[in-house]
Amino acid sequence: MTGTWVSALTAKAEAETPAGGFGERIAENQRRVFQIALSILGNSADAEDVAQEAFLRAYQKFDTLREAEKFRSWVNRIVFRLALNRKRGHKRRLARDTEWQVVETMTTVDGAKEAEQQVMLGRLRREIERLPKKLRSVLLLSLVEEMDATDVGAVLGIPPGTVRSRLHTARKLLLEGMQ
Amino acid sequence: MKSACEKWKDQLLEAALTGARSKEFELHLRNCKSCAAELRELEAIREHQDALLPLLVRGSQPSPDFRTRVLAAAAATEGEPNRAPRWRVWALAGATVAAATVFLVQRSAVRKDEAEELAAAQKLVDWRPPSDSLLKTPGQEILKTTPKLGDSYLHVPVNKLEEE
Repeated sequence: MTGTWVSALTAKAEAETPAGGFGERIAENQRRVFQIALSILGNSADAEDVAQEAFLRAYQKFDTLREAEKFRSWVNRIVFRLALNRKRGHKRRLARDTEWQVVETMTTVDGAKEAEQQVMLGRLRREIERLPKKLRSVLLLSLVEEMDATDVGAVLGIPPGTVRSRLHTARKLLLEGMQ
Repeated sequence: MKSACEKWKDQLLEAALTGARSKEFELHLRNCKSCAAELRELEAIREHQDALLPLLVRGSQPSPDFRTRVLAAAAATEGEPNRAPRWRVWALAGATVAAATVFLVQRSAVRKDEAEELAAAQKLVDWRPPSDSLLKTPGQEILKTTPKLGDSYLHVPVNKLEEE
């Protein structure tokens, strides 16, 4: 019953409002937007929350974001900033550990339960958190699907060449840290 | 790693990461078992990282009803007036308070200035030079009075002793 109502409402939102086509934009971008939030926050619940907020903000500005490319780059930037703000909020409140949730991460490893891999993933997360902020942002955004150096640079406001050089430095430090 | 091999540390990391090796470094690796072993170890870690890093984010996606939920939330905001962001409301309130404070402070400062100016003017009017008292003549009191008809300004009381 509720599902029917929501479907009807969403169909109406898409077809009748000036925001027609918004649903299509969500479908095109949701995976990447969610992954950007996840890369920063490290847990799905917060990442989904932040991704939803980013899309709702995009909805408010949809009149100026109708072009697919414009929408994509705008929503990438906004979700990154929202995720960083959320993370800062968590740190301030000290309510949640800023470390990545290894248990959750393991669910994405196709059920692999090897203790060594779990330990390595946890260690990897900690090493990433230790990286300087500029390097960490580049590394995490580069992990997101469909994000090349140009996309990462657009989010961070730096040229693609700088993205590549920071990524290289980040990998070097990560390698040294894990030695 | 031997302390003598510290200078190769960066090249070891570069080689493990990109595979690039200078001729000099290649020569060193042939002669230094310690560095060769360390390079192998670093390469193994790098391979492990290459496999693990994508697992942190890639492949993950939002829940299946994510799009529906966002659209429903967007539709729910449809009827709402286009509210200004919270920071803008607070900024406006702050600016209003600041403007009111400045106005009141200025007003009270103007009032204070006016009162001070008035007091200064009054003081100026009341001010007498100290030499005024020196310029007083003994007969000033007499000169200030108006004699009755038939009297004279020069009616000065005479000391009885002097008369005797």
